[in-house]
Amino acid sequence: MALCRTDVNAPKHKGITAFLVDMTAPGVDIRPLRQMTGGSDFNEVFLTGVRVPDDHRLGEVNAGWRVALTTLMNERATVGGERGGTVAEALTPERLAALMRATGTLDDGALRRDLSVLLADLLAAGHLNRRAVRAMRAGVTPGPERSVAKLMHAQNLTRAAHFVSEVLGPRIIADTGEWGTYAWAELLLATPALRILGGTEEVMKNILAERVLKLPKEPGIDSTSPFRELPRSGKAVS
Amino acid sequence: MNDGKEELDDLREAVREFLAAKSPETAVRAALENGHDPAVWDQMARQLQLPGLALPGDYGGDGFGLTELEVVLEEMGAALLCSPFFGTVVLAAQALLASADEAACKRYLPGIAAGETIATLAVAESSGSWDPARIATRAERTADGWALTGKKSFVIDGSIAGLVLVVAQAPAGPALFATRGGAPGLRAEPMATLDPTRPLAALTFDQVPGELIGAGGEGGQLLSQVLDVACVALAAEQAGGARRCLEMSAEYARTRFQFGRAIGTFQAIKHKCADMLARVELAEAAAREAARLADEAAAEFPVAAVTAHICSSQAYMFAAAESIQVHGGIGFTWEHPAHLYFRRAKASELLFGGPAVYHERLLARLGI
Repeated sequence: MALCRTDVNAPKHKGITAFLVDMTAPGVDIRPLRQMTGGSDFNEVFLTGVRVPDDHRLGEVNAGWRVALTTLMNERATVGGERGGTVAEALTPERLAALMRATGTLDDGALRRDLSVLLADLLAAGHLNRRAVRAMRAGVTPGPERSVAKLMHAQNLTRAAHFVSEVLGPRIIADTGEWGTYAWAELLLATPALRILGGTEEVMKNILAERVLKLPKEPGIDSTSPFRELPRSGKAVS
Repeated sequence: MNDGKEELDDLREAVREFLAAKSPETAVRAALENGHDPAVWDQMARQLQLPGLALPGDYGGDGFGLTELEVVLEEMGAALLCSPFFGTVVLAAQALLASADEAACKRYLPGIAAGETIATLAVAESSGSWDPARIATRAERTADGWALTGKKSFVIDGSIAGLVLVVAQAPAGPALFATRGGAPGLRAEPMATLDPTRPLAALTFDQVPGELIGAGGEGGQLLSQVLDVACVALAAEQAGGARRCLEMSAEYARTRFQFGRAIGTFQAIKHKCADMLARVELAEAAAREAARLADEAAAEFPVAAVTAHICSSQAYMFAAAESIQVHGGIGFTWEHPAHLYFRRAKASELLFGGPAVYHERLLARLGI
């Protein structure tokens, strides 16, 4: 799906149209982006004179922002949702305690405190998600407060990664061959992205503050002027 | 299962309205000087039947669960209600129920349900610990019952309670005893408190006649059970208080102008408020879910109770402290209510031992 600027004279949210683009069409150039984990989940896609038939348009002309929002909401729901992927599933009290036992740190007072703080938040986040799922089944539409789940998920996993690395010590910076140790490096390198994907932490907090708590928007954020008049990166303000 | 959301909303609305009328800031401040308002306690019992809400029908209650009580406590915490409700309805009534002593329940619970009895539970001594091993107060057999000797501290409403339940060491181990406020040999002295909205007293027992509640010897198990319910009830109060701190902050951020704009337009303030919201949502979910699990007698309840205790303690402390920062200069004045919430938040966090105790309790419950 490609979001394209179709009217530079309209305000920025109102001049976008969504299209389905055949990735094998002539003029589509795909260059994988390599992330800090070493994996490639994203690409840069360059479109040069690609022909798109009108029946590949999603929604009305210049109504692409709504399509984008729906996609984003779904992305956020996945990131903060009940299942946090395989890594989150490994963050059970049993697994973490076993890791401490294996590294001889189970009696370390500071680590025990960190573990409890982490587990309390993980358990409470689980309760928050369970209640949201139950409310959704009862027909309640999820509100923007669902963003809280995404925020907490990213923060909890980040804290978990640092907790695990403290428990493992040098075993997470070089592979000793011991099972279930160096493998945690993957979580460590994946967590910074979690606070950015599906809306950065800062944007999520603005949304919570403005939509849920009704705090006023920051002045100077221009959503009414034509797009072509807006200052943009790499373009001097005239 | 019908989760009864509408009924809960109606209950919340009724309690909120009642407290808006009966426990505004002026009433809270008056209670700091004069103690709780007996007229409000009376109305809570007669008009709303709150003390009996979660007590079994056999003992004069309405037979609802912790889920309903949790809603009431959230609102009481939000309004900083100064009332013997927590000590009477949560601590004392739950101790009686946990004792499974039918005769004692029949004797004392109807008075509590009707709002005629103010009661409390005296556990901690000078260390503040609820660990049964740390209890030194003794219970000795006498010709016609038991005699209690020792000193209890941090007793909620200990100066005004008519019914005092005491955990003391009996020959067979820690056990629960009942005595009445003003019994011969019992001296109650108010303690100076960080949080004047919840009065605490030191009780000195010198051969005070006591009545054994339950079979005796299972005081340790009883304490652990009571503490779990008390922690969830406290978590509800804390979540409600934290939510109110957030609301006050957001309201101030919307209306306070500085540098020519509402301070809520600044991201530094927005993000503080959003962080508070995140902690509050988490605390509410943890408290409500723990209450639900208690009512279902779920195996997860003991873990959920400590989780709620930890998350709500953190959320309230965070929200109360950040609320003062959002309010700026006015926030740390005596005349502004922010410090009353700050005091309640800190005192609640530490009432049952605080982080030093509750983190290890969570790990123990998880078998770690």
